[in-house]
Amino acid sequence: MADIISTVEFNYSGELLATGDKGGRVVIFQREQESKNRPLSRGEYNVYSTFQSHEPEFDYLKSLEIEEKINKIRWLPQQNAAHFLLSTNDKTIKLWKISERDKRAEGYNLKDEDGRLRDPFRISTLRVPVLMPMDLMVEASPRRIFANAHTYHINSISVNSDHETYLSADDLRINLWHLEITDRSFNIVDIKPANMEELTEVITAAECHPHQCNVFVYSSSKGTIRLCDMRAAALCDRHSKFFEEPEDPSSRSFFSEIISSISDVKFSHSGRYMMTRDYLSVKVWDLNMENRPVETYQVHEYLRSKLCSLYENDCIFDKFECCWNGSDSAIMTGSYNNFFRMFDRNTRRDITLEASRENSKPRATLKPRKVCTGGKRKKDEISVDSLDFNKKILHTAWHPKENVIAVAATNNLYIFQDKMN
Amino acid sequence: MEYKVEAHRIMSISLGKIYNSRVQRGGIKLHKNLLVSLVLRSARQVYLSDYYSGVCLNTQHVEAKEWELMDSNQEKPLTPAPEESLSPSTDCNQNPEVPVVPEDPEVQHTSQAVEDSTDLHSVSSKHQAEEESSSEDSTTDVSLTSSPVTCESQCEAKGAEVSSSDCEADANPATVTEGNSQQPPKAHSCSNRKRTAEKTASNDSPVKRTKVTSSNSSEEEAEEMDTGNVSNLITIFGSSFSGLLTKESSEPEAETEDSDSGSGQICCDQMLKNLNPWSTAIVAF
Repeated sequence: MADIISTVEFNYSGELLATGDKGGRVVIFQREQESKNRPLSRGEYNVYSTFQSHEPEFDYLKSLEIEEKINKIRWLPQQNAAHFLLSTNDKTIKLWKISERDKRAEGYNLKDEDGRLRDPFRISTLRVPVLMPMDLMVEASPRRIFANAHTYHINSISVNSDHETYLSADDLRINLWHLEITDRSFNIVDIKPANMEELTEVITAAECHPHQCNVFVYSSSKGTIRLCDMRAAALCDRHSKFFEEPEDPSSRSFFSEIISSISDVKFSHSGRYMMTRDYLSVKVWDLNMENRPVETYQVHEYLRSKLCSLYENDCIFDKFECCWNGSDSAIMTGSYNNFFRMFDRNTRRDITLEASRENSKPRATLKPRKVCTGGKRKKDEISVDSLDFNKKILHTAWHPKENVIAVAATNNLYIFQDKMN
Repeated sequence: MEYKVEAHRIMSISLGKIYNSRVQRGGIKLHKNLLVSLVLRSARQVYLSDYYSGVCLNTQHVEAKEWELMDSNQEKPLTPAPEESLSPSTDCNQNPEVPVVPEDPEVQHTSQAVEDSTDLHSVSSKHQAEEESSSEDSTTDVSLTSSPVTCESQCEAKGAEVSSSDCEADANPATVTEGNSQQPPKAHSCSNRKRTAEKTASNDSPVKRTKVTSSNSSEEEAEEMDTGNVSNLITIFGSSFSGLLTKESSEPEAETEDSDSGSGQICCDQMLKNLNPWSTAIVAF
């Protein structure tokens, strides 16, 4: 029984696609090699490996259950035949090694093929075991477990461009780890106030710069982003840059603070821009300009008048993610009713698509969708009131090089490819 | 008027969310509860802003002024309200010097004190209160801050617009009394807050401080409410999330099984009259 998908991530080459779910499982898909026999079948993704990454735990000291839900998966750059990824739940980060085994040694001296020990007195000859081919087996084994470093719930992990370190962020702190060392981490950001009553904001996401291994950013629940330079100080409580857009006073409501909370932050592949997602919009920031974003895209502005209902049914707390395409020319994010949105930064065109079984058969072209915001509803449009808020697309991923996207709709994973060559 | 009802509703919903967060799997989510507490604060400000004509507020500034006023008010002589119908033994026993707002507009000091006690985190400034204390209705409109006790009917009644004429007619003086009785615990907490502001707070000190304020309310409620678990809920809210965590470990089943949406609603209404629920809401972390 498939569980609700909680994270989706392509690896650096795009050959592998990892998903994590609420049940603590990781499922990895691998792209089929394009074959000459079926030229029209651009590589499809099939299940490559499935393993249980995290189990539910119980903190006896606080009488709290720790959920096994996978919050984030991040791949490491590939260095040998094996693949490595980091997966994290609320409290513990694990480094997994995924390797293939297609050979098996046969002809052992001390045990027979069933594994039973042979009677040493019956061994009369010595032989060298030989490697025989076997059915491909994909094994996942936990190589490192990074535990007990976070008091609050981990929301982000990010691998550094030095390929040696990574950061993990919870609501109030960010820690820097070395991939080889599990018994200690270095705290680089701590925004916990001395008096918790003075708490006004929490960390919502953090990411390492794609090229500068000393730079990282973290976003807050107040809609601000801080860029920090680890060369400046050991504890990066003082930011190097502070990104905030002044609030529009005319749009103030009870829920202004909630909808300005940033749910995701992603650097562009170039490292020159970063993108943030808040409840209603996606913003692209130039790292050289702190006082406002350079681009703002409205994802579902028609929800602004429904904020009270969305607060009641908890939808206003949904944390949508966002992603860049490989060339940074387009961005994508999810919405409700299994809709997801793509924005072309150059042409300023946007499109709304739907990820659902009924509306997309294999090989069929997706039809653009439109939400009717008022007045007369045209044919094929959907009115705001008939949107299904239980069908939300929080997690999407874009292939690092090609126009292939992965969209997680509750417990289904959709993979769409660009038809044009 | 609609926005008052709306604000009241949003406050109830917010408190319900904070209540439900206790039983959610994975522990209390700091981020979500911070956002909920911000909404709660905004709604409360709007709810109270009606009395003070939407003066733009600087809560810290207001609080500082009110604390000063609080300290000075401790020594004022008090006149009992003529129509006090609440169980005064429970409410007012907590502090002998309970200022009560009489119908008589002369006693501007006490009414002002009551206003200030209700507005620790709200719109009014001391200045504004002084100006309006002589006006008919604003001074008596302290139903929001009434301490937990009375019954829900009065909770609902307070939701309605209170004017001076209403105040004389119905149960509002009772709620006014509640508000007054609430003041001493508030003053206590305020002065505590001042003293502890300089301390490097551990999680312990906030816990102790808020438990002081809640002990009054919990005692009062225990006498009024039938269900013991509801009073437990009030105590929990009074002591903010620190209470949530301790309560959770001691009697999680009792509260989750027995407390239904009804008691949650009762709790919400009670909390709406409590002065500083959310400001200490994150203390446990």
